[in-house]
Amino acid sequence: MSDAPRWKQDFPILWDEDHYVTRRELAKFLTLGSGTIVAATVGVAAIGDRLRPQGKMEPMRIEGADTLERGGSLLFRYPTGADPCILLRLADGRLAAYSQVCTHLSCAVVHEPAADELYCPCHEGHFDCADGRPTAGPPTRRLPRVLLAETARGVFALGVEV
Amino acid sequence: METGRQGTTLFSGICLLIGLLLISQLWLLAAALDAALSGQARLAIPASIASAALFAVNAGLLWYVIDFDRRRRRVDPNA
Repeated sequence: MSDAPRWKQDFPILWDEDHYVTRRELAKFLTLGSGTIVAATVGVAAIGDRLRPQGKMEPMRIEGADTLERGGSLLFRYPTGADPCILLRLADGRLAAYSQVCTHLSCAVVHEPAADELYCPCHEGHFDCADGRPTAGPPTRRLPRVLLAETARGVFALGVEV
Repeated sequence: METGRQGTTLFSGICLLIGLLLISQLWLLAAALDAALSGQARLAIPASIASAALFAVNAGLLWYVIDFDRRRRRVDPNA
């Protein structure tokens, strides 16, 4: 081995030697990044379902839902005040409710009654009103659906199905 | 006999290969996260296994780099 200390060997004067060291270090850095990505992927697999909203949700009456006309929409928040949702009265009279948060990059979707769809203006995402599935644009996942119950006392949100 | 010039060229190729595998791992991570958020968390398991396999290849390449460096120093102690 050379008598020169290791740190001196890693700071050579010649360009050729410098390229040798920097590329060797880059290979080490990239492999470290590779290991970090494995840890992140294993982490996603390990926590899995916990990434989705879970737990028992309290039923909540949706104010004003009874008077919603066909083709109309109503904004509400469920299960917490930080979760915007949208309630729709479809053309056939059925009620449907979804999270208002676009599954692409979390912009708010709006109802487009003329096109009978939910529309995300940020990146031109389109969702089907009937089931919340993406029909065009960048989103690949459907909107989380709010489970509803229509009773004599009004319309209730019962939970969220992701 | 291992030389610095050989090593520089070799390491460039290895860095490129590791980078390509790293991009594949990033794609796997994005796919696993998307699957987990869609309620199909079990799809993240094969993605993890594939990512670990790619990491093993990267680690093997890095081991080759370290071994090359060691052999080079043995041949030329002033390197």
